[in-house]
Amino acid sequence: MTSSVLRHRALLTVGSVAAVALPFLSGATSTSLYTRILIGAVGAIGLNIVTGLTGQVSLGHSFFLAVGAYTAAVLGGTAGRTVIGHDLDMTIWLPAAFVAAAVVGAVVSPIAFRLRGLYLAILTLGMVFVGLHLFREWTSVTGGAGIGRPAAPAVLLGRPLAEDLAVGAVTATSPTQLYLLCLAVFALATLAFVNLRHSAFGRAMVAVRDRDVAAEAMGIASRRVKVVAFALAAGCAGVAGALSAAETGYIEPGSYDVLLSVEYLAIILIGGVGTAAGPLLGAVFVVGMPRIVEWAQPLLPFVAAGTRDDGILTRFELQTFLYGVLIVVFLIAQPDGVSGALTRARDSARTWPFSRLLDHN
Amino acid sequence: MSKSHSTRPAALLLASALLFGAAACGDDSDDTTSTGTSATPGESTAPAGAELELGDGVTEEPCPNAIDESHGCIYLGVLSDLTEGPFAQQGVAVQQGAVAFWRRVNEAGGIGGRFEVDIETYTRDNKYSPEEQVARYREMAPNILAVATSLGTPPTLAGLDLYHQDSMVVVPATFWSGWAFQGGFAPSGYSYCAESMNGLDWANDEFGPIDSVMAIHYPGDYGGDSAAGARVWAEANGVEFQDGDDLQTLPNASAGNQDAAVQALLRRNPDVVMLAVGPRETAEIVGRADAQGYEGRFIGSRPSWVGSLLEGEASQAIIDRFNPVSFIEPWGTDNAANAAMEEILGAGKVPSNDSFLFGWMWQYPVQALLDGAFEDGHLTREALTAALAEGIEVDYEGMMPDQVVGGDPASAVMRDALILQPDPANPLGSEVAEDFFIGDTAADFAFDAPCVEAG
Repeated sequence: MTSSVLRHRALLTVGSVAAVALPFLSGATSTSLYTRILIGAVGAIGLNIVTGLTGQVSLGHSFFLAVGAYTAAVLGGTAGRTVIGHDLDMTIWLPAAFVAAAVVGAVVSPIAFRLRGLYLAILTLGMVFVGLHLFREWTSVTGGAGIGRPAAPAVLLGRPLAEDLAVGAVTATSPTQLYLLCLAVFALATLAFVNLRHSAFGRAMVAVRDRDVAAEAMGIASRRVKVVAFALAAGCAGVAGALSAAETGYIEPGSYDVLLSVEYLAIILIGGVGTAAGPLLGAVFVVGMPRIVEWAQPLLPFVAAGTRDDGILTRFELQTFLYGVLIVVFLIAQPDGVSGALTRARDSARTWPFSRLLDHN
Repeated sequence: MSKSHSTRPAALLLASALLFGAAACGDDSDDTTSTGTSATPGESTAPAGAELELGDGVTEEPCPNAIDESHGCIYLGVLSDLTEGPFAQQGVAVQQGAVAFWRRVNEAGGIGGRFEVDIETYTRDNKYSPEEQVARYREMAPNILAVATSLGTPPTLAGLDLYHQDSMVVVPATFWSGWAFQGGFAPSGYSYCAESMNGLDWANDEFGPIDSVMAIHYPGDYGGDSAAGARVWAEANGVEFQDGDDLQTLPNASAGNQDAAVQALLRRNPDVVMLAVGPRETAEIVGRADAQGYEGRFIGSRPSWVGSLLEGEASQAIIDRFNPVSFIEPWGTDNAANAAMEEILGAGKVPSNDSFLFGWMWQYPVQALLDGAFEDGHLTREALTAALAEGIEVDYEGMMPDQVVGGDPASAVMRDALILQPDPANPLGSEVAEDFFIGDTAADFAFDAPCVEAG
């Protein structure tokens, strides 16, 4: 076994232990933030499959998130005065969210058979608007626009994750339990992505991305590849939607709009399109942005604390502003995202000082 | 590879790691042991001469930016539309009013001369979204004693079970008629339901008789409550109110425009339209209807109005055809509250809009609850909830009639209203068209249940 493989495995082990230990060293708010980052990463893995690996530009990701969230809400949620729910366990509604969204993804995938690039992006955008209208009107499922409904609670094998769990001397609080569950889902999704990327089917996806006509000429069934890509992407989004809803506790149809799709696109662009680490790295920035701004606000003289008039921007406006700025900065300065920057930094460190000598020349 | 290109990834990586590491490892203010209570709930901390129980959100440590570092701190939460939602303009001004209120209290020594109140640290943007509301509430809940402002009826309702679980007193910055029946809420003023009744009674007297009325409103219990009041008024006054007269519309951010509402209005041509939407939608509906020949009147629910409507293209139509209903005297009225606001803001300064007055007003019951809880020796959520259940008398220093908040909903109901006239001569855009009155319909209505049920 080579030293690089050993080093890689050691890093993975250390990283895994750190990831598991993280919530036990953090408060509830931070743990919730980490959970949302993981959920964002899971959804972004799906987008990475269809856009990063297969090259199909999709702005419809929020539609699949909604399908997953509402499938979970109907199966796992409680029936209310105006909404339906069946109080089923998470072991049912979470896989169901994947399957329902994947089926919808497979059904809509034919739009990618003959369209590419901008045209495909516009069509997938159309799905979002169709979805918005559908979910606004389907009040027995969604509660209706501007009102919403409670999400499916996280009840795993009959045990609500809202209750603290004591195992020996260690107590796992509710946020910790949800975090660990999402960590497991993220690990599974990442493993699946890495295996897919290195598989024959993954290479076929890349071939379709690079030149689908040539891929067809080589015997790759590009339509089948696209169907599977959309299905997997939608399935991941469905799981992310269901978990996100469980984490928040409440969902409203207006949330599943174009901006949410753009947010996921931003995650993979900032993190690194097509890379295994990209979804997590991108999610750290995009999902963690409010916390970063909160920390940075006292250092920025032009940003007012709270809602005061003594600045050009308020903290809340800065969050919105920074979000857009970050996407632009990364697209210009780091087209291959944080993952690409990390790779170059690692390579530069490995060949130092020769990397510096080469730079001078 | 150029030198600048090879160092750029490393620099970016370093900056990113520093940024996120600082954020993640920074003061984790969600631990009650770190910035919340210095005394665990139930454990008394004895001030000079008396036992005082400190609950979550109360600490002997000074507030950030404390006026007196020897004072402790009471943290209050705020959930409001501050950026993206249809009421962001009002939400920001409401928060500014609340901040000004507590600055006045803190400068005068705070609660019991011992605790200042912080209403900024736990201010979060709910974007008028029920989902954001619940998520942001969960984040702040461990660290606050009460929610001093929760703006938006649907967003506030979304967290109902959570507030009850946490025994959290919530001040709804909304006028849904059902708050008084929920327990744990400290609403001030009238309800949207009563607002519609009074507005239509006034319009009937001023421009009447009204033969037809239409309600155009947001979905949910803001618009639904207002429309319910319009329906009650119609039934009480023998005016037909069909299903087509009750029209739901969405904020422009969701619907894009008010085409459907305007066309429906022009088709039905009612004498009066009761509007329960946001300011942007008000401007569009009033402006376009007027431009297309509509000659009726518009009565606006209070949230549908903001002074900046007089700066837009629909300003003349707004002045000619639109009257908002309110229960607070406008800026500049001679009363103790206005004088206090003017003093805090400074000579010659004017708030960004008159929602500032509402932000200020909504804090009076909170102050009354905190003062009472301090005197009783229990600055805890349970104590505040219990006091609210008994009912508290609140003095609003003349900006609106004094009111009992909490307690028996029937005795806490406010039926009074006043009518505003948009007027560019006033710094905040409106003058009083009709001073406080109670219309016949509201006077006769029992208000013994919410006009429209939750959800």
